[in-house]
Amino acid sequence: MSENHLNVQRKLWENPWGYVESFFIGFGLIVTGFFLEVFVSTSNTFTLSYPFNLYFLIGYVLTLFVLYKWFSTSQIIKWLTKVPASISSITLVTFMVMIMGIIPQVSSESNIINNLGLNKITSNWAFLLILFQFLTCLGLISIKRILQFKWSNFGFILNHLGLFLALIAGILGTGDLQRLSVNTYEGKPSWIATNSQKQEIELPFAFYLKDFVIDEYNPKLALIDNKTGSIAENDGKNLYLVEKDETYYIKNFEIKVNEFLATSARLGDRYHPVNELGSPPSAFISVRNIETDSIINNWISSGSFSQPYESLKISEDYSIVMTIPEVKKFSSDIDILTQEGERISTVLEVNKPFKHKGWKIYQLSYDDKMGKWSNLSVLELVRDPWLPVIYIGIFMMIAGAFYMFWMGNKITKNQ
Amino acid sequence: MTWIDFPLYSSIVVILWIFGLVFLLISYKKEAVLKIANLLFVAGWAVLILFVLKLWIELDRPPMRTLGETRLWYAAFLPLVGFVTYIRWKYKWFLAYSIIMAGMFLAINYLHPETYSKTLMPALQSPWFIPHVLVYLFSYAVLAASSIVAVKGWYDSYKGNFDLETLKLADNLVYIGFAFLTLGLLFGALWAKEAWGHYWTWDPKEVWAFLTWMGYLIYIHYRHFHIHKSKQALTILALAFVVLLVCWFGVNYLPVANTSVHTYTQY
Ligand code: HEM
Repeated sequence: MSENHLNVQRKLWENPWGYVESFFIGFGLIVTGFFLEVFVSTSNTFTLSYPFNLYFLIGYVLTLFVLYKWFSTSQIIKWLTKVPASISSITLVTFMVMIMGIIPQVSSESNIINNLGLNKITSNWAFLLILFQFLTCLGLISIKRILQFKWSNFGFILNHLGLFLALIAGILGTGDLQRLSVNTYEGKPSWIATNSQKQEIELPFAFYLKDFVIDEYNPKLALIDNKTGSIAENDGKNLYLVEKDETYYIKNFEIKVNEFLATSARLGDRYHPVNELGSPPSAFISVRNIETDSIINNWISSGSFSQPYESLKISEDYSIVMTIPEVKKFSSDIDILTQEGERISTVLEVNKPFKHKGWKIYQLSYDDKMGKWSNLSVLELVRDPWLPVIYIGIFMMIAGAFYMFWMGNKITKNQ
Repeated sequence: MTWIDFPLYSSIVVILWIFGLVFLLISYKKEAVLKIANLLFVAGWAVLILFVLKLWIELDRPPMRTLGETRLWYAAFLPLVGFVTYIRWKYKWFLAYSIIMAGMFLAINYLHPETYSKTLMPALQSPWFIPHVLVYLFSYAVLAASSIVAVKGWYDSYKGNFDLETLKLADNLVYIGFAFLTLGLLFGALWAKEAWGHYWTWDPKEVWAFLTWMGYLIYIHYRHFHIHKSKQALTILALAFVVLLVCWFGVNYLPVANTSVHTYTQY
């Protein structure tokens, strides 16, 4: 339909506004935003929290509704519900995000970057203003299609309303998002958390860490260049996991693992299996030089925070070492103690958070230096009351994506 | 070792698939043999699934902790998505692509047995990991194909015999590719929430994935509004693909690279 209009010579700002006007307005918003960045000091970022963000949302949606319902004949509302306004705002949001994708979002030496706020795009006025137009377009056309009550609009509404909900809840929700971390120690209750500003906060429940467990992969064998101390190239292949009775070939060495102890200690001329704090893995290997047929064998160990590592020098150029085992899995066996005297047991693991009273509890980290002997487990608590809305939006968009996949170019109508 | 039978199984699968691909090629001339091709693909896929199940039973856990194991899942799911897309859209090249990719993952596993046990960090051990990577794999393939169509469009209009059907084919590919892209983005968000507690952090890779998504969004809306402005549409499509390439290969070379968590380089 718009094709006809565009073919007719049309003056600027005459009905209906096209791309020139749209980009003009969009640039106007961005320039205004940069002015605000430069001249209005914004030392602390401004976020709305409950209940004001909720009021804002209700007010915004009502306003959009009223604007669409009773002012849809006005120039500006007509413009906002047409594609040029959308495309210009999508393009300019893309432009602002592209800045974020090029300039690192950390404090900068450059005055221009600092003053224009190019290193904090997500709270930059220019970005927020153009995003506001973007959302307003999105909101208005969603309302438009919803009010048409047509089945054929189903996919459209899933995509547009879904994106609208996910974005608006994500933006407004940041004010209510709480992210705390708690250090828990084996055999002790902990109820003091710290927030991102390093303030201490007392929780209404306590964690009692019964056991912190790290599962490790076996250590790996690596061939080390004696001169540089770095891993010698092995035809681009990965290192081998140490496994008892396996034979590996690296360069022209045949390496046989005769013995492998997951936790051990050196006693005299050999390692023995023991299970104490800081007892490292070790292996007895024999290395045959395939060219000369000479054999060397000895114990190697990757060491730990308390024990030295041991390598085996196999030639002028090379040594065999055992790497520090990598972590396969770490988990915390905890009890949550509530004020009502309840005791809830659960096991936390990466990718397996636990829900409790509106909090999601994540296994975050542990004491790296102590590795599997760490008796510290760091938990993270996240509370995000707007999450259900975001998820509704996300799942609407997932459904919308399936719809698009299925419909393909049948979506493009009036051909 | 539970992977002991892998060379046998994977050889059977790959051989069946290679024959299938040959028949698929022939079917461009002689439609009837397509049935044979499909039969061979399905047979190969069944053998593969048998191996996955055997491995699962022997390990007594879902095989998803090592690099070799995740590749096995790619190989298992790629043909499935390929088939669904084929049934809906009848793009033979796409079916071939999915089979070849799946075969490639099997071949990588076969050539690098040491990765059967190559470790995967705990955060990657998530049921979202595989769908996340897979849908991106498809999305990039389909969007790349849409760009090839765009190049053809440019060439045709240069020659003066541009056909609107070309753009409609590009549209279709963009819609399909964009659907996969959206899924990749959203699965990534859901996974990040499960693993780290936030769904979106504006990590450089995320930023460029988002930009790619926005680029194709512009194309979709432009096409919807201006059915006959083919030159401009083709230009937008080309630019969107440039952004996609930056996202895919270029992020590591940008000044923002060292702030990214997406630098595993181990797919
Ligand atoms: C999830 C992302 C999006 C998808 C998949 C999407 C898809 C589509 C499709 C397929 C159409 C045309 C087909 C139809 O009429 O049903 C369309 C129309 C439209 N879209 Fe989007 N879109 C998205 C986001 C946006 C955004 C962010 C905006 C605005 C900022 C927007 C504004 C519009 C407008 C104004 C129309 C034309 C509506 C009309 O003519 O009534 N869309 N969109």
